[in-house]
Amino acid sequence: MNRVLTCAFWLAIALVLTFITLPLAVVVAASLSPSSAVTFLPWEWTFDWYGDLLADRWLQPFLLSVKIATVVAGISGVLGVLAAYAVVYERIPGSTAIMAGLLSPLSVPQIVKGVAIVLFLSIIGLQGVLGTPALIAAHVVLALPFVTRMAATSLANFDGNLDRAAQSLGATKRQRLQHIVLPMIKPGVLSGVTFAFIISFNNIPLSVFLVRPGDTTLPIAVINYLEYSLDPVMAAVNVASMIFILAVIFLFEKIGGFSAQLHGGSK
Amino acid sequence: MSTIALAAPAAMPGAPARTSGYLVLAPSCLVLTIFFALPMGTMIGMSFMDAQTLSPTLFNYQRFFSDGLSLAGLYRTAVMSILVAVCVTVLGYPVAYYLARSRSRWRALVFALALAPELAGVVLRTYGWLIILEDRGFINDMLTHLGVIASPLPLSKNLFAVVVGLTHVVLPFGILSLTTSIQGIDPNLERAAQMLGASRLAVVRHIILPLSVPGIVSSLLIAFTMAASAYATPALLGGARFKVLATMIYEQVLFYIDWGFAAVMAIALLIMMLMISFLGIRYEARRSSRRSNREGGAS
Repeated sequence: MNRVLTCAFWLAIALVLTFITLPLAVVVAASLSPSSAVTFLPWEWTFDWYGDLLADRWLQPFLLSVKIATVVAGISGVLGVLAAYAVVYERIPGSTAIMAGLLSPLSVPQIVKGVAIVLFLSIIGLQGVLGTPALIAAHVVLALPFVTRMAATSLANFDGNLDRAAQSLGATKRQRLQHIVLPMIKPGVLSGVTFAFIISFNNIPLSVFLVRPGDTTLPIAVINYLEYSLDPVMAAVNVASMIFILAVIFLFEKIGGFSAQLHGGSK
Repeated sequence: MSTIALAAPAAMPGAPARTSGYLVLAPSCLVLTIFFALPMGTMIGMSFMDAQTLSPTLFNYQRFFSDGLSLAGLYRTAVMSILVAVCVTVLGYPVAYYLARSRSRWRALVFALALAPELAGVVLRTYGWLIILEDRGFINDMLTHLGVIASPLPLSKNLFAVVVGLTHVVLPFGILSLTTSIQGIDPNLERAAQMLGASRLAVVRHIILPLSVPGIVSSLLIAFTMAASAYATPALLGGARFKVLATMIYEQVLFYIDWGFAAVMAIALLIMMLMISFLGIRYEARRSSRRSNREGGAS
């Protein structure tokens, strides 16, 4: 009886892991398949589809997505740190309510935020800002609560004694912020900023309302294309953008992000 | 005096600090007001207005409840989200149990495999399922080649495809919340039961499952909310034949340009989500009050 149960347990785990990895493996295989129909496992390989990625059709949306994600990561990083500083470090009155307000967008589904923003812009006659400006604003609303929360957690967790020691040794507030507080919260802020970059880069439910012809982000370009064709160039686009995301994570990790935070170090 | 200093990392809360505190808070508040609060207010206002004349009316709500299409969309959204919640929790449980208890060197690999898809983005995974489930896709192609079936099985553009795709998208979150909960169960309980002669099955049924109920509840709730608000996966795997609220909202805004009705649908989705979150919060509150009662009685 016990043995049967153990076997069933391992079988279940193997099946679930297969379920999880299958679509990823299929996409990678399809991106290397020489035929235009994506069917059986390919027996011959080609990198031709990756060559197509340099066409304007994919390069333009990719560059726009990178641009928007970079601006969004920057803005929400700065605003999030400032807000967390005010609420956690300065402890301004009403900080609990203010924090709840800052995090409130998290409880509204993205698609609802998207509709609300597009209705609002249309009502006040600002359809003109659809495209890049509206995308940046909407993505900041999406990313800001995450960054604020991560910065607030770092600020709340760091050892206040360091700050007080510096103060009693005569450091000015500016010196303390620059040499103690900011370096201490850097890992948390950097992971927040990386997260902001990724959710902006991959976003669909908000972007789908706010793009306009000629101003389309990569995921929207991909889903529009998928309505008509499933050919392997899609697989190549997807694999390339996943590699790009991994590279971004690696880069931020090098600057001193997540693992430093996991190990509780200050560097 | 000293306790206050210990509690607050900030050294001297004084009038100048407060002013600067509000000042640095201003940009965030401004952005969230203009691009979140005002739009949400506008949307709620629009739901009570006629789209053409902007005069107040309840017509949009009447239409939502009398129009069979929107109620059917609401029903499909609920059914889909419940199925996804159940699939995520059932499939995630064994993996979570392994991750919580194993000390083998394979644990890191299983952890990475379970969470890696999260980095790949929703489109890539949905595209993968499209290739697998399409009429001329991987499964149908293989079965036709092997002569098992003559015509393709209806695997895509329906509830089945959407549930499979969304389960895949949400599974890592379910696994994470289940793992945290199972890690909180004292392993000595399991060892004690086994030493007293309980079979593995009895240990699972009478110890692990009951004690991980909070994790199961949170996994169900997370999965439900993520599934109900998903857009891309139902749009691609369900298509025009299986419409849920999220994809219907998109249609109303971009094809029919019926803002009032789109606003009502968005509000319906929002209310469904808030009700689910409320259930979760109430469950947590009742559990912690029960626990404090028990501890109060023991002391």
